[in-house]
Amino acid sequence: MGWRLQRTPSAHRAAALTGRILAILAALACAGIVLAMTGRAPIAMGADFWDTATGSTAGLEDVGLLVTPLILTGIAVALTTRIGLWNIGGEGQFGIGALAAAAVGLHLDGPEPVMLLAMAAAAAVAGALWILVPTIARAYAGVNELITTLLLNFVAALLIAWVATGPWRDRTGGALAATLRVPYEMPPLGEAGHWGLPIAVAVAVVAAAALTFTRFGYETRVAGANPGAAVYAGIPVRARIVAVMLLSGAVAGMAGMIELAGTAHRLQGGISNNYGYLGIMVAVLARGSCLAVLATAALMATLLNAGIILSAQGLNTSAVLAVTGLILFFTAIGDELAHYKLVRRPAPTG
Amino acid sequence: MSAPALARTERVETGAEVVPETGGRSDLPPGTPPLVALQGITKTFPGIVANDGVDLDVMPGEIHALLGENGAGKSTLMNVLTGIYRQDAGRIILDGYARDLSSPQAAIAAGIGMVHQHFKLVPAFTVAENVHLGWEETPWRASASVLEARTRALAERFSLKVRPDARVGDLSAGEQQRVEILRVLARAARILILDEPTAVLTPQEAQDLFRALRAFRANGNAVIFISHKLDEVIAIADRISVLRGGRKIATREAAGATERGLAALMVGHEITLRKVRPRRPGLPVSPEPVVAMEGISALDDRGLPALHDISLRLHGGEILGIAGVAGNGQRELSQVVTGMRPITAGVIRIDGRLAKPGDAAGFAGRGIGHIPEDRLRAGLAPSLSITDNAVLREYGGPPVGGFGLFRPWAAGRLARAIAAAAEVAVPSFEMPARNLSGGNQQRLVARRETRIAERVLVAAYPSRGLDVGAIETLLALIARLRDEGKAVLLFSEELSELIELSDRIAVLFNGRIMGTLPTAEADVETLGLMMGGQRQDRSGRAP
Repeated sequence: MGWRLQRTPSAHRAAALTGRILAILAALACAGIVLAMTGRAPIAMGADFWDTATGSTAGLEDVGLLVTPLILTGIAVALTTRIGLWNIGGEGQFGIGALAAAAVGLHLDGPEPVMLLAMAAAAAVAGALWILVPTIARAYAGVNELITTLLLNFVAALLIAWVATGPWRDRTGGALAATLRVPYEMPPLGEAGHWGLPIAVAVAVVAAAALTFTRFGYETRVAGANPGAAVYAGIPVRARIVAVMLLSGAVAGMAGMIELAGTAHRLQGGISNNYGYLGIMVAVLARGSCLAVLATAALMATLLNAGIILSAQGLNTSAVLAVTGLILFFTAIGDELAHYKLVRRPAPTG
Repeated sequence: MSAPALARTERVETGAEVVPETGGRSDLPPGTPPLVALQGITKTFPGIVANDGVDLDVMPGEIHALLGENGAGKSTLMNVLTGIYRQDAGRIILDGYARDLSSPQAAIAAGIGMVHQHFKLVPAFTVAENVHLGWEETPWRASASVLEARTRALAERFSLKVRPDARVGDLSAGEQQRVEILRVLARAARILILDEPTAVLTPQEAQDLFRALRAFRANGNAVIFISHKLDEVIAIADRISVLRGGRKIATREAAGATERGLAALMVGHEITLRKVRPRRPGLPVSPEPVVAMEGISALDDRGLPALHDISLRLHGGEILGIAGVAGNGQRELSQVVTGMRPITAGVIRIDGRLAKPGDAAGFAGRGIGHIPEDRLRAGLAPSLSITDNAVLREYGGPPVGGFGLFRPWAAGRLARAIAAAAEVAVPSFEMPARNLSGGNQQRLVARRETRIAERVLVAAYPSRGLDVGAIETLLALIARLRDEGKAVLLFSEELSELIELSDRIAVLFNGRIMGTLPTAEADVETLGLMMGGQRQDRSGRAP
């Protein structure tokens, strides 16, 4: 009589969740060990962070500012995973969305609510346009969207840097490598927060509902799970790919507008602040579920916030990114292990 | 051949049990060890015991057939013998010496060669290049002419007709199979394992293969012949071993074995081999065709012409069978008839009205159901839930759909109804469809499709990969649709199945219809000639 591991075809839900939680703890433990080896006191730092982040409204609002773009970029990626694709270009679409919103905000005048709506619309359209070429290439020529969406991120970053330091540079202050302050702002919520957070949550809920309760969501699910079955059932796979990818770009673009009008207020190089890339992680941790994105985005925001708070103690954001990388790494292991269960080995015969 | 270098020194006493069982070959001296003796082979995979203490002796100069339903453990056993899997328990004894076949290379070195059902050749290479690929005896400086001369010599030695300079991609399935066999024999194989070798052959090509196998046997070698075709197993084999549920049930002399007896061993109980399902006398056939195809041409997935000028009329209340060697346009034809594949020429009419080719949803909406050739690639989304899969045809309208919505609760109800009608026990409808067995997947697909097949059911290889029980269910379903006055287009690689069920049989060869025969006039020889490219038109009209 003995025990052995046996692989099951699909992971049990509880096992998958446990795997994820253990992965996060393992990543934090690794980070703690490294911190201890460099002569810091990880547990004290953790306690310090926890007090600052959760002990005050201001701390929670800081997390709220960080979680807003992460929810939206996470949704952008989660949408494409539903049809079996990956939008790695959230970073670029985010930046281009911010750029389009800044263009509208800086160059047009109007009442604030109208202008905010116009900026949001411009950002969504710009984000969708930024993913248009990869979308067409994917749907009609089978070009791998991972590469095309990724490469356009660099184009977007350079374009924003050029606009912010060149034609639209704030020449009144002189020193800033950014545009003028956009005069239209997201309505505030609480002390430091703004209405971007409820909007992002609403987008996640609407996306989750649409994928579950609409014909479009079902067809997307089938096309993503097995394109052959979609063709068989007469589902227009190309049209669904185009719609989902453009929607994904639009959501990422919207995230850029909310960041600009709610938090940054000036278009500058680096406005996207890795939110696009972190969104991939948010979506992966959420296993492509739009509602779970809310939780994983909150986790990621908390980690980012920890980096900011602890930077007073000599940590920087790179350390936080390293921790997020560890989480992803352990999650991959945990997901695989969730397929296994312990079984009793039958007594050997013969 | 002397004992190969890999052999262990231990001589295993197998003589005692072998002597009375020399495969009926009285010419073997008493005490001759089997060429291959498998003893107590056990192999388990998560959740299943694929082989459970299997004993199998294959004598020199014997063609030994391995018979069993899908999942009986034939492939696992052969994968153990060819070094792909490692047994959990049991011994492999070659020529009386226990051997440790830890890799496919070790098995090849020990003289065991296998021809897989799906050939493992490089289509862009010539025959000579394929024969010499990955072979240590290939000369270091190998020019095309040297390789071709060596191949010619090998072909002569084993009397296998191949053209050394032809590109494998241009060869017929039968010729490719000969290349595979030559490849194996060239590596000094003494045990040739063939997995379902006749599935891709015309009856005439199968006869050529049998001649080659008998010649190989005459030299004291052995063949292990995996098949599920009872008649050909009795015709070619000396002895037949039957596997069921991972265990060896019996080994029988082929002489004196009956199809009925073997089938009973395979399934585990006496079965009526195939219930014949004749037409009810006087069952009407619709005067107007339900589906009329005129001059259809279409391309395959690579954009090459696959169908040429196909004209077929399908009437209500009849079953039109499509015969042909695999890969002669059946896949494309089944996709054109169900609207999955666009056409380059011709017209399709459903109930007299023009149909828009390439509009699968439109065809389904006009009452054409489709049991696809490959249910895992087309008929199902294996990673999605059983519910999502069950509603694949009816999600567009009420109660599941309507107004752009998808109602999961209504979908769940429909899925439960389909599973109940298909008599499939589903533990959880949220479970991915891939967790179901192949037979249950096919039962669900068949039931889902008959729900929408108000006019036509297109069934492509519906019994492929299923056990006898599931085949019975499916064929009964097809016969019932015919009796209800619906039209059925049945693709099958089993001529017996086509002859038994169809009212007319059309034969596809190279994307063309070689003719349509009323089943009453169709015999295996005529169909075989047509499958090999001979035109025979006796203008088979609907009965």
